[in-house]
Amino acid sequence: MKKKQLLLVFAFMVTPQIHAQFYDAAEVDSLSVAGGNLQTDGADEFTFTESQLGENDDVTSDVIHVGSSSNIYTSQIGWAWSSMWFKFRALDNAYNDVYMNGVQVNNPENGRFTYSTIGGMNDATRNRDDVSPFESNSYSFNSMGGSSNYDFRASSMPAGHKVTLSGANRNYTLRGMYSYGTGLSKDGWAFFGTVGYRWANMRTAAIKGTFYNSLAYFLSAQKVINDQHSLNLAVWGSPTERATAGASTDEANWLANSYQYNPYWGYQGGKKRASRVVNTFEPSVLLTWDYKIKDEMKLTTSAFFKCAKYSSTRLNYNGTNPHPDYWKRFPSYNYDVWGREGDYNYDNAAFWLAYDNWQDESYRQINFDELYFANTQLNKIGADAIYWIEARHNNHLVTNLASTYEWNIKKDAKWRVGMQILSNRGSHYKTIDDLLGGEFFHNTNTYLVGDYTETASEAMYDVNHGYQKLIEGDRYGYDYDLWNQDVKLWTGFSIDRDILHSFVTAKMGGRRMWREGFMRNGLFQDNSYGKSGKAHFLDGGLKMGSTINLGKGHAVTVGIGYELRAPNASVAFMCPEMNNDYAQDLDNEKVLTTELGYALATKWFRLNLTGYYYKINDANEWQQFYNDDINSFSYNSLTGVNREYYGVELGLRVQLTTNLNLVALGTYSEAKYIDDTQVNWMSSTTGELHQELCHNKGMRQSGTPLAAASLGLNYRIKRWYLNLAGNYYDRIYLSYSTNMRYEKNLQNAGRYHAGEYDVPAQAKGNGGFMLDASIGRQFYVAHHPLSVNLQLCNLTNRRNITTGGYEQSRSNYSVTETENSGTEVTTKPRTYNFEKNAKKFYAQGFNFLLNLNYRF
Amino acid sequence: MALLAGAFVFVSCQDGDWDVPEGIPYGNNSLEAGTPVTIAELQSKYANVISSDNYKQITDDLWLRCVVNGNDYGDNLYKQLSVQDETGGIIIGINGSDQGAFMPVGQKLLISLKDLYIGGYGNQAQIGGLYNGGLGRMEISEWKKHVRLIMDGMSEALAFGTIKVDTIDFDANKTMAQQAGRVVRLSGVTISRDGTPIIAPDDGSVSLVSNCVNRTLSGGNAGSKCVLRTSTYAAFKGVAIPTTPVELYGIATIYRGTWQILARTQSDLTWTK
Repeated sequence: MKKKQLLLVFAFMVTPQIHAQFYDAAEVDSLSVAGGNLQTDGADEFTFTESQLGENDDVTSDVIHVGSSSNIYTSQIGWAWSSMWFKFRALDNAYNDVYMNGVQVNNPENGRFTYSTIGGMNDATRNRDDVSPFESNSYSFNSMGGSSNYDFRASSMPAGHKVTLSGANRNYTLRGMYSYGTGLSKDGWAFFGTVGYRWANMRTAAIKGTFYNSLAYFLSAQKVINDQHSLNLAVWGSPTERATAGASTDEANWLANSYQYNPYWGYQGGKKRASRVVNTFEPSVLLTWDYKIKDEMKLTTSAFFKCAKYSSTRLNYNGTNPHPDYWKRFPSYNYDVWGREGDYNYDNAAFWLAYDNWQDESYRQINFDELYFANTQLNKIGADAIYWIEARHNNHLVTNLASTYEWNIKKDAKWRVGMQILSNRGSHYKTIDDLLGGEFFHNTNTYLVGDYTETASEAMYDVNHGYQKLIEGDRYGYDYDLWNQDVKLWTGFSIDRDILHSFVTAKMGGRRMWREGFMRNGLFQDNSYGKSGKAHFLDGGLKMGSTINLGKGHAVTVGIGYELRAPNASVAFMCPEMNNDYAQDLDNEKVLTTELGYALATKWFRLNLTGYYYKINDANEWQQFYNDDINSFSYNSLTGVNREYYGVELGLRVQLTTNLNLVALGTYSEAKYIDDTQVNWMSSTTGELHQELCHNKGMRQSGTPLAAASLGLNYRIKRWYLNLAGNYYDRIYLSYSTNMRYEKNLQNAGRYHAGEYDVPAQAKGNGGFMLDASIGRQFYVAHHPLSVNLQLCNLTNRRNITTGGYEQSRSNYSVTETENSGTEVTTKPRTYNFEKNAKKFYAQGFNFLLNLNYRF
Repeated sequence: MALLAGAFVFVSCQDGDWDVPEGIPYGNNSLEAGTPVTIAELQSKYANVISSDNYKQITDDLWLRCVVNGNDYGDNLYKQLSVQDETGGIIIGINGSDQGAFMPVGQKLLISLKDLYIGGYGNQAQIGGLYNGGLGRMEISEWKKHVRLIMDGMSEALAFGTIKVDTIDFDANKTMAQQAGRVVRLSGVTISRDGTPIIAPDDGSVSLVSNCVNRTLSGGNAGSKCVLRTSTYAAFKGVAIPTTPVELYGIATIYRGTWQILARTQSDLTWTK
């Protein structure tokens, strides 16, 4: 009996809350739920594989966690496709709202939630209410990418001890976690705590030149004061230090003979050193008051406070690019390997010299010794260091108060109303992390030196401090805060009538934002220091949906929504690193969402078939990159962006025998820009603003397969669990370069003929087939359950499947006369072909995770 | 809590403090000095090749001990290093950037000349490699095989006496061998202010030659065929040209009878100090 109770608790703990709208609990077969403990354990490990969850600065790789269990498709894709950075409906993570005890915790500045911030505390994050875009819920106006609400109350956590030990050949090698919960005591107290540590060093990490060093803690205490009131305090954090890997061109991978070639590390004194190290710590506090006003009325109020510290280092320079994958170091820089007609290099000797150089690992990685030597040589003549490691800091101070009132008017009618009040201060600045043997450099915009003398005020990053000499730890380049304050109100009503389950939900809100600069930039001396004007936006939305239960397990779902979304502060400023100006033509995003679904559920069969169509108008985007055509760094604001998302999704589960079921998943989708976009861009060397058209019509959402299919078999018998799944991915696009498609740049590239622009096709990655397996067994040791689970991923060791990447923002030509010269722009073709050399990430080959957990 | 505290203690930083690497990770540290040759002797030995703008591979085991007097630190000398000894100066063409960081002015070099090429370009003596069938810059990897950086405290066999980066007054009548590759001083000279009156405008107001502006120098000790040659990429390209005569320094080079003065950094333009 006790074993069964434990199993039940275990199953309850690991199974996401079921939020079925039309499935009876009986329709969810008990075997799947009970047996799900082993799978879900594995699934959670996989879902939170940190390499895939927003831990790369080069691309937006955050997946969306839509785990709604009412739909076979949404309940399975997180587990099945996360190794491919699959994005639900190809949506940016910012369209997925994440809550904790009812308070929204997405990054207030860019809208994204980074799951890795709660990595390593898996035992605390299993109580989660996931809903897909057209499911009603008790905590929010549901987002177009779905929403999740984590329950962090101590009484919701399992009682007892649990120890987890894991070994993997992924970005961490070892993991240990311990958790303990008291359950709710008779005097109304409940406590729960967990601590976890994940580790890999340079010798053990799967990708060369990376390491992982992460501690996680979570503590929650709850006092049930009486039948009506309960207070809960939860604190958590995950101080993490990790080295990141970079994407590479196919040429680099070929030369390095590895799909996982990582250019971001090198040797220093014979030891491996990473140049890109992320340090992050987001200590969070959540205070929740549950007030049961009456049996049918409840008020949940939470106050959330977070002090997030994030820094990411990178090698910077004022001289020759020291990165080993700099384009001039490649063989194809010396010889046109693309067979084009034109004035290209055909230097065979230089080609092979570069090839030979690349065979030497010390050449294809950063040579820290040389960088140190150069700086120490410069010390001798009292000159600025020319190589250094900088740290880019993005810190946040978030305060958010949320309250939700829920009234179960009748058994079949519910009404909720809620509010969120948020304040966020995002602090953004750069520091000198390591001068690599140098003694100092000046806080000077070196891009401007030449046009201005080195000591001219225009070239100073901070005129208030003059020609400022900087040492390690000093801030340089930029230093500013972005503030945003939001107020949101929402309400939702759901009702069951005969064969209909319907809901309607609405929201409205206001946002204000401003920038406060702490450096007086030399190019914008009157417009960079101090506070900007405040911008105000009003937004809102309406969404409704119904499930029509046709009987005998058949159901049809329909949903439609329209909302206005205020622009995020992260895209609202033209050039926040330099001045206080807002991006021009900023406006609310207009979002239309529709969905039509069919479901069939019988004892042995469950099917979900869903079609959706989303349209986003007037979206805002922002980018910064080096623009060859102006020989300058540029800040680029895209406003009035119009995108369209549509597709079909299939989820099918067939119970073949009592012990064996088959799960099939599939999606074919489209996610693309439907119009060319107006761009405002600013040159960092002139400070002048320019307008032009970006020919991005037809460009697709990147970094996710737009077509994916999966066929899996799950076998459970006694305490064994076996899973075998084949996954196929296709239509994987890489992040397109806006720069390459600017009207003027297309002209410079000779891609304008007779009034027509020949826009380069968007770069694509390879899809392919991947075979995954999982085996688990539960034992009893000293009368307590011990679960052992082994995940084997990519069994066929397919290493050439692209998970994401981006086109380089460089041009296939150099501009020999700029427009400033007053003469026509003339160009000279480059032998190195940037258009053909997108940088890509590839899926890891065979990898495994062995997981043991013991509860007692 | 104890566990938590213990975990904090256990977790140590992996990207900690790094020591400055030892050694000289540039050039060929196994080179030992052989038969010495001075720059004057070298230019004399190959005088015909240089004066005829031809080139020749150095086949003798000759070793040059010299000191850097000009480099790309100010982004004006492009992929060129200027070196001198007590007897003269010469330009070395290297297909690599940031030479000024690895070999700042004053850096002593031991150069194994065997297998390198020497010749003339507009009658200016230059050491380099073959490029497109002519004398050009040598690949950086080749250069690194042939050079050893000499530091204070090295063994006596390697160390050589002080070679001062000295400055001589420019004399338009001197020969290439006497003056080219040396730091020269011009005083009382007037710089042509054609077009936009900055050192090297790239706004189309003056014509460019290989991305450089040649501004005529007159008066003072400039002689009749002397220009200040500055790249439009030079860090000091935007320095305003005074209307009055000035003093300036630079590496003297010659191109078909015209002296071209290459300022190295802004401090060579003394009126900006």
